[in-house]
Amino acid sequence: MGSRRAARSGGPAAPPRPPSPALSRRTLSRRTLSRRALLAAGAAVALTGCGASAAAPSGPAALRVGAIPDQDPEVLQRVFGTVADAVATALDLQVTYTPVTDYAAAVSLFRTGDLDLVWFGGLTGVQARLQTPGARPVAQRDIDRAFTSVFVVNAATGLAPSGDLAALAPLRFTYGSPTSTSGRLMPAWFLREAGVDPDGFPGGPGFAGSHDATLALVASGTYEAGVLNAQVWRARTAEGAVDPAVVRYAETPPYADYHWLLHPAAAGRTGVPDLHDRLVAFLTGLPPGDPVLDLLGAGAFVPVQPGEHDRIEQVGRELGLLR
Amino acid sequence: MTALLDRPVAPAAPRLRRDRRRWAWGLAAAGLLVWSLAGAGLFGGGVVNPGGTAQVGRFAAAALSPATDAEFLGVLGRSVLVTVGHAAAGTALALTIGVAGAALLSRGTGGRRRAGRWAARGLLAVPRGLHEAVWGLLLVNVLGLDPWVAVLAIGLPAGAATAQVFAALVDEVPRGAYRALLAAGARRPAAALYGLLPPAAGGLLSYAFYRLECAVRSAVVLGMVGAGGLGYQLALSFASLRWAQVWTAVYALAGLCLLAELGGRAVRRRLAAPPPALSSQPSGRRDPVLTAAVVGTVVLVAWSAWYLALSPASLVSAGTVEQLAYVGGAAWPPATDGGLLRTIGGLAVDTVQMSVVAVAVALLGAVLLAGAAARPERPTPARRVTGALVRAGLLLLRTVPPPVWALVALFVLRPGVLPGALALAAGALGVLGRLAAEATEELDPRPRAALTALGARPVATWLYGIAPRAAGPVLAHALHRWEVAVRDTVLVGLLGAGGLGALLAAELATFDWAAVSTVLAAVVVLTWAVDVVSDRARAALR
Repeated sequence: MGSRRAARSGGPAAPPRPPSPALSRRTLSRRTLSRRALLAAGAAVALTGCGASAAAPSGPAALRVGAIPDQDPEVLQRVFGTVADAVATALDLQVTYTPVTDYAAAVSLFRTGDLDLVWFGGLTGVQARLQTPGARPVAQRDIDRAFTSVFVVNAATGLAPSGDLAALAPLRFTYGSPTSTSGRLMPAWFLREAGVDPDGFPGGPGFAGSHDATLALVASGTYEAGVLNAQVWRARTAEGAVDPAVVRYAETPPYADYHWLLHPAAAGRTGVPDLHDRLVAFLTGLPPGDPVLDLLGAGAFVPVQPGEHDRIEQVGRELGLLR
Repeated sequence: MTALLDRPVAPAAPRLRRDRRRWAWGLAAAGLLVWSLAGAGLFGGGVVNPGGTAQVGRFAAAALSPATDAEFLGVLGRSVLVTVGHAAAGTALALTIGVAGAALLSRGTGGRRRAGRWAARGLLAVPRGLHEAVWGLLLVNVLGLDPWVAVLAIGLPAGAATAQVFAALVDEVPRGAYRALLAAGARRPAAALYGLLPPAAGGLLSYAFYRLECAVRSAVVLGMVGAGGLGYQLALSFASLRWAQVWTAVYALAGLCLLAELGGRAVRRRLAAPPPALSSQPSGRRDPVLTAAVVGTVVLVAWSAWYLALSPASLVSAGTVEQLAYVGGAAWPPATDGGLLRTIGGLAVDTVQMSVVAVAVALLGAVLLAGAAARPERPTPARRVTGALVRAGLLLLRTVPPPVWALVALFVLRPGVLPGALALAAGALGVLGRLAAEATEELDPRPRAALTALGARPVATWLYGIAPRAAGPVLAHALHRWEVAVRDTVLVGLLGAGGLGALLAAELATFDWAAVSTVLAAVVVLTWAVDVVSDRARAALR
């Protein structure tokens, strides 16, 4: 069903077919394709992927990569299109990237088996593992062991950078996505540690949806303060894309965040029995300066240690974001 | 999303007495409005946030320079096909459910007994009470990335609405033929098929085409929650605040909606008033235009099923059953802790206030714009241009999805009930403005002409010649929009603008299924309550 569906539903650039090495290289050379064609391919897969795993074709199927939509979809497309390309080349597999529209959808689609390999945040990764028994972490970036969030304020508040989170309590405040680790969970935790009720901001906290949206809404003054992923903050600052009205106020202590998670059925679906090990070997073996590492802002990929996300799980339960 | 009302029922001959009930309803409506405006913080001041005007300016400026690069247009072209496929297949499903549901509800068949009718109504209230986007989000959790998600999400709520309308249409048919067939010994189904269906066929067909128009808009909203097609492209461009691309998608969508509206309206007009050449001919001749429309639609539905590769097998596959058991098991029993119920109570108030403000603003706008939007009998060129511009503006208002309006409103307003209300008001104004214009066009032109001939000024002509008779149908449309707005509050809430939708989004994000079922139950009850109140108010207007 896969290929007919894909071909008829908006024409992905690379309709899944059994890969012959030369052909698959060419059709999967994602960088030669345009950004928009990629979006089309993603959309086509998004609507047409082979629903339930039981309906999957018997031959080797494409590895479906996904990511939580924590920033601009076009940025994600560039990053994960490149990742899909690199994995396809290294493992000689069909790989497609499927953009999703919200964090919960990424978790649900991983559970239903529509996504095989997903770039999750700390909290969404824990959610996905709790809902999908047998899911295994593959790797994380070196920076994910000690990730941070940045609190920003609108310049009109007149607040000078400081470590005092209590000063944020009387402001209109927005988080990113409700289940973002760096845009909600850990900032809420550190706010609580500082004696601020993380849900007690005037009018209730907002949920901008993504880190970029948080920046836009704090820039407009709709919210006087907000919090986002420190990596996105640094990237946008370096690009000069941050509105001068947005000022960095404080940064959180470090915590563990993003990681790759592999679906238990992925090895069977793609016909690669040692898929997990090969993915770990490929990712951790990337040389410094590899485009994949650069795009993800990492120095290297490292294996995920058991218990690395226990604290996230514990904090998630305490804040009522995990059941 | 939905429903434009069908053409208003022809106004009955005016009765020369004042209806006391109308005073009561009017006072209650005024009280509700003041309470809602107060809730939206309009009397407290400080709702405006001038810092965001630059961002709104960027949004508005992009309307004049939409993205036109070939790649993006190519992507949009394919997305349009997907959206059309979703809309057509969804409508087909809605009509199938509608026919089956009507058979259960109609007095001639299943609804003969009171208990049966009530049971069927209760069964249909659930799919109707939830927004398509909510269905979409729930179905993604069971079906994953299957095209059935969009088709079912359009088809289930629309099917329930269709069943009620179909049943009402069949019930209105004179029963002579049906009774004669029964008396002659025909069984009930056969008697209904030959005695009730043919006279109702025109109305049923007309409503079916109206449903197709609605489905196009629904398909786009579903795209925004991830089901693919035009709405999905729009959501991706919207998430990266690429306004030029958002506007291109909006224009493509406006074109699609316009096509559906024009086509649907042409078919409905033709049904309402067949050309004299056909009506004078001996009975049994079919109208070739209508036959072509029906055949074309059937072909379109078949093409959609093929293009989307809808496979009935994926609905009953082991994986689907497993996911359904997972979600069902987690969602039952619904959460009943006091804290959650109190939160729901508070947010239900927000939701009602949001919808009331939205409809009040839309009604005010519609009354102001109706005159300009209506097609005058003897138009001057200036009047023609103004009319076309206003109508195009109304089309854009109802085409830009509410979540986009919500974000734009959020740039210049403080967070709260108001941005959501204004986002809904924009869409509601787009629909109400058009309906109000059509209501004025259809009025008997003679009183106005008489007043003008007597030397009345235009304002007086409007006040005494048009307003009194247009008020009834326009208010009825506004009350109907209120129901729609309550359902839509969930949509803007899902994407961030407060009310029960925001709570639903939070519970869905944390996968607290027991709380999700409680919130959904609250939404269904609230929608049903508003439905009943609006229905009573409309009865008082008649």
